[in-house]
Amino acid sequence: MEREERTESFESFIKSFFYGKRSDLSFKFMSDLTLNDASNFIQALFKDTMDSLDDGDFSRVKQRMLQGQIQGYKEQKNFEYDKGPFHPLEKPVSELKLSLLTSSGHFLKAFDPKPLGVENMTQKQAENRVFDFLKEEPQLSDIPFDSMPKDLKVRHGGYDIRAAVKDPNVSFPYQRMVELKEQGVIKALTSSAYSFVGACSQKRLLKKTLPDWVKNFIDQGTDAVILVPV
Amino acid sequence: MSVGHVARALEEAKIATVIIAVKSFETRMRMMSLPRVLLTPQLLGRPMGSPFDENLQINILNAALQLLEKANQNGIVQDYYNTDTIKAFTNEK
Repeated sequence: MEREERTESFESFIKSFFYGKRSDLSFKFMSDLTLNDASNFIQALFKDTMDSLDDGDFSRVKQRMLQGQIQGYKEQKNFEYDKGPFHPLEKPVSELKLSLLTSSGHFLKAFDPKPLGVENMTQKQAENRVFDFLKEEPQLSDIPFDSMPKDLKVRHGGYDIRAAVKDPNVSFPYQRMVELKEQGVIKALTSSAYSFVGACSQKRLLKKTLPDWVKNFIDQGTDAVILVPV
Repeated sequence: MSVGHVARALEEAKIATVIIAVKSFETRMRMMSLPRVLLTPQLLGRPMGSPFDENLQINILNAALQLLEKANQNGIVQDYYNTDTIKAFTNEK
């Protein structure tokens, strides 16, 4: 058997987690670190893992991951606005009609949005075509608040969906919002919660898509919307 | 940034918004001059915490609703803290 080629550079190694041969969207941030910071992160993560295996406390591993992700995303700059709109709440939370909209890529299995015209696109295919998604107009999936988690699916080429597959509420907390309504914390919910794939054309979102989405909320008498990006 | 654009469009239409985002998104959230942002100390893809942590999910939503009610101007970016986070920071070497 031939020995595996062992000349890969460290830079190539860390970049391979960003849609490369080791693609792992929870670690793609490493490609935005300096080589020194990336090596320090990996070394510290190994150490924390061993300490956590010894005492069973994995909070330090999570904390290390958090620090790495925060560092990796710190310099990511896209849209910048000097000022922005603000609409004050006009009544107490207990009298609100609320909605939920997330960019998590959830949809009802029975209504697959078929992105890029592809039937039954897999998560892997979505990751492989994430740069095509960035050219497309987003599609809004309508998910009634009384839907069962087993009827939902999630697919998004831009982030690690593993947790969202196990429990949609990690990025699409629709069941918790129903509980808040049942507890009387809020007065009402719109008929559905909404989700789309945030990796999309911002130009098309701004010029073409958003007016219809906003009208939908106005037509339902929505007072406020909880938004969750991923 | 997609959700930031949604927030800005809704606010212009007189619909109040609150964004729940992971702490890693702080820079991009602040740059977009958004009305209300609650930053959670959670990993990417898990802004509401780990799967099936229903108490945390509810607590984060309640914190977001408080921010929705209390904010009186654009650009309020607030960190969400809970006892788990404090423990994690305490363990930091």
